[in-house]
Amino acid sequence: MKKLQQLLPWIVLVLSIVYAGQKLARPEKIDSPYDFNTFRQIPVSAHGRTKPLDTVARNSLMNISGRQSIQTDDGNITAIEWYIELITNPERSVKREVFRIDHPDVLVVIGLENEQRIRFSFDELRAAGNEINEQAMLASKVKAKARDPFQRAILVLNQRMMIFSELSQLVRPYLVPPLTTGDDWRSFVSVLNENPSDADARALLSVLQAFRNNEPETFNARLGEFKELVDSHISYDARKSRYEVIFNQVQPFIIASTLLLLAFLFGCFGMLSTQLTKPDWSRSLLGSMTAMIWVAFVVMTIGLASRVYLQGRPPITNLYSSAVFTGWGSILIGLIIDRQMKLGLGGIMASVIGFSTLIVAHNLGSSGDTMEMMQAVLDSNFWLTTHVVVITIGYSATFFAGFMGIAYVLLGVFTKMLDREHGKSMAKMIYGVICFATVTSFVGTVLGGIWADQSWGRFWGWDAKENGAALIVLWNLLILHARWGGMIRDRGLVQLAIFGNIVTAWSWFGTNMLGVGLHSYGFTNSAIFWLSVFVISQLAMMSIGMIPMALWRSKFSKPTVAPKPAPESVE
Amino acid sequence: MFRKILKPLASLRLTVVIFALSIFLVFAGTLVQVHTGIWTVVDQYFRSLVVLIELQIFVPKELATIPGAIWFPGGLTLGIAMFINLLAAHAVRFKFRKKRIGIILTHLGVILLLVGEFVTGFAAKEGNMTIREGETINFIEDIRSSEIAIVDQSDPVDDLVVIVPEQLIETDTTISNELIPFTIQVTEWMPNSQMLGPMQAPESRKGLADTGIARELAALPLPRANGVDGATVDAPSAYVTLMNGEQRIGSYLLSVYVDQPQMVVVDGRTYWIALRFARTYKPYSLHLVDFKHDLFTGTQMARNYSSDVRLVDEGRNVDRDVLIYMNHPLRHAGETFYQASFLRDDAGTVLQVVQNPGWMIPYISCTVATLGMLIHFGIRLVPTLRRRS
Repeated sequence: MKKLQQLLPWIVLVLSIVYAGQKLARPEKIDSPYDFNTFRQIPVSAHGRTKPLDTVARNSLMNISGRQSIQTDDGNITAIEWYIELITNPERSVKREVFRIDHPDVLVVIGLENEQRIRFSFDELRAAGNEINEQAMLASKVKAKARDPFQRAILVLNQRMMIFSELSQLVRPYLVPPLTTGDDWRSFVSVLNENPSDADARALLSVLQAFRNNEPETFNARLGEFKELVDSHISYDARKSRYEVIFNQVQPFIIASTLLLLAFLFGCFGMLSTQLTKPDWSRSLLGSMTAMIWVAFVVMTIGLASRVYLQGRPPITNLYSSAVFTGWGSILIGLIIDRQMKLGLGGIMASVIGFSTLIVAHNLGSSGDTMEMMQAVLDSNFWLTTHVVVITIGYSATFFAGFMGIAYVLLGVFTKMLDREHGKSMAKMIYGVICFATVTSFVGTVLGGIWADQSWGRFWGWDAKENGAALIVLWNLLILHARWGGMIRDRGLVQLAIFGNIVTAWSWFGTNMLGVGLHSYGFTNSAIFWLSVFVISQLAMMSIGMIPMALWRSKFSKPTVAPKPAPESVE
Repeated sequence: MFRKILKPLASLRLTVVIFALSIFLVFAGTLVQVHTGIWTVVDQYFRSLVVLIELQIFVPKELATIPGAIWFPGGLTLGIAMFINLLAAHAVRFKFRKKRIGIILTHLGVILLLVGEFVTGFAAKEGNMTIREGETINFIEDIRSSEIAIVDQSDPVDDLVVIVPEQLIETDTTISNELIPFTIQVTEWMPNSQMLGPMQAPESRKGLADTGIARELAALPLPRANGVDGATVDAPSAYVTLMNGEQRIGSYLLSVYVDQPQMVVVDGRTYWIALRFARTYKPYSLHLVDFKHDLFTGTQMARNYSSDVRLVDEGRNVDRDVLIYMNHPLRHAGETFYQASFLRDDAGTVLQVVQNPGWMIPYISCTVATLGMLIHFGIRLVPTLRRRS
């Protein structure tokens, strides 16, 4: 028995590595007489970026249906197969149930409210096309901020139908490469209309015709010729293109979130067995958790590094990647904390924050290419590297302190784990993280100011996002000064740290939701609901923390003097 | 005695209170931007002694109507309070010790930062330079104020220019000056306006001007721009009647929308009259060679804006080509030129020109404060790490 407990972490480590390794190393090939594996690598241009066709197919399908493949009775259809069917065999394609519709009122408008499903075919929608169009026209006249959920949903549907049509009519993406490197990519339809003898377009046409005529051998041969032709007159990074296809298939962040979720379960069981006074098992389970987190961390690092390689940019370029990076940073902090203070708490925090930020990222990224091109003003690798990375670390650290605070409250109130010593050392950790957060958020904000001075002519403009950053700095400073002045002790520190979660969430997402200011590149509209839920949950945690210490299950051996109430935030 | 007064001013409790108040002010000052333009907010909230915060800003109008407002210390008050608190703390509490050097540096940086924002608030000047391709411009426009200019070009060397600043222009006033032979009767002054073409104008606004190139157009008054809905700039217009003594010359529509001066001929002499944004002439000039506005293929998303200009400043022996683009402003003669906007059809560029004598202060203060923090927390970290190893 004893042996199993010692071995378990190692077994878990090996299994996790095997799991992640086989996912990473052996991306699934499409089994078909048609050479889709080559077809999906051909370069095209969409939203200003040259990328493999695979990325366009996946992102479009993801946008329309919320998935990267279609499940049918005859098995799975991958995005690239769906795409080629869409452009060569529209009669079949319009019958596929791919349009995801969640809003019940939208279904009423289309007259499909009695269907027991959430995905519908283009044919079904086309029947109500005029009505959708009229509703979308009405909704588009309302200002974006003032639209109600129905109006937003109908516009999303209309947008999806447009994407579908543009894809099927070969308007987008631009499939025909430029005549020479440096020229613009061309739309297939317009090339065929204006210059029917264009060699590239003709070669591509014969590929598509072969597919339509069900001739796999011809398809493969024509595809080879087309690729050769393209390679002969434009230069693009074929290796990058191949790598991007692999990156699309592997989806490292999904692997990581699976591991983090499992790690969290291990952590919970580990904590539970401490309660049942089974220290061996507890150590073993927590060790297993740490092992899984390490593997997840490595996978995420590979994912981030791949994005850096593919984009040629620093790891954070938009809200999506900032969420991923925050998760990554929190995991790192958690692992470090666990090495210092062998409680297993850092790991639990790491898995919770890592998992939830990956979910947030997944939702943010579901509407399109997560490696989109950047607005002109953001096009500066230097500032993206310094300002954005540093401030995101600051945000992560503030969050981390807050989540440690929640753990402190929950463990203290509901378990007996926090004795005097552990309670003290946990509060010390939180304090340390807040110091770190203060420095990084201050430096990050300042670097942002310098960037703003370079590009807009003022260091500080009281813009919404700038104010958000300032709020985080001020909040951290408030906590530190209150602590130094003896106005709060451990519990006050913990409570204020939890409130820091609200401040950070508001600055990170809330300021984008206001839709004002120079920084409103964000695209978070439906997130308001989740932000409110989050704020309420944090306030709930703080009120649990307000329960008199005498009622806490953890007894701090010397009755701690109840700290004077922390200066309530004026909000 | 002196210490007795200073002590309460130096308290950490006061520091925390100031932080809390600042946090609330910044939060409110961010929310209010949903309803009010940024410049109004900056003046009312962050550069004021007190501010009246309407409670409505905390709740969306669609949810509930909340009447009432509270008085709150403004940014200037809180900044000064923080400044005093910091200085007092150092005077009373902190003795110079090696261990304290980090904190002292940090606070020094923060003091400088406050000073910098103060200097920017009072001394910074902003203007615009709009240049069409091929044009040479030697003045900066202040788009927040306007003027009526009357130009006499009869002298072959120097133009004679008479400027009537916005403050003197009002409906039903008459403007005269001994340098010009005619008087200007302002029949309608519109601080902000909208310009309509001949087919768009309502009947009641037609024919208010009978002379000049803008007589076919009609101006409608608008409320002053508050920054919401994208409009941040007032576009003034005026209907004026020019009189040569008792003799009526004609009525004109003057407007910043009309981008050419209008001709007035009096006693055989030609004058040019225009309503324009207030100008400041400079000893240097910028000539726009080319403006570029590139999009990402197949999208409406901007990849790049850039202005290729020739900067000539004879007094400083400068004559060179400069490329101004995003994140790469031109700094010259104490002013900084940023790529800010562009004219329709990419016909020209709009540069923002900022003169801020305090622009270096944030750079210095932030370096000092960052260094201070690193030293302060570094000093504490080292023994902890040493103990562990």
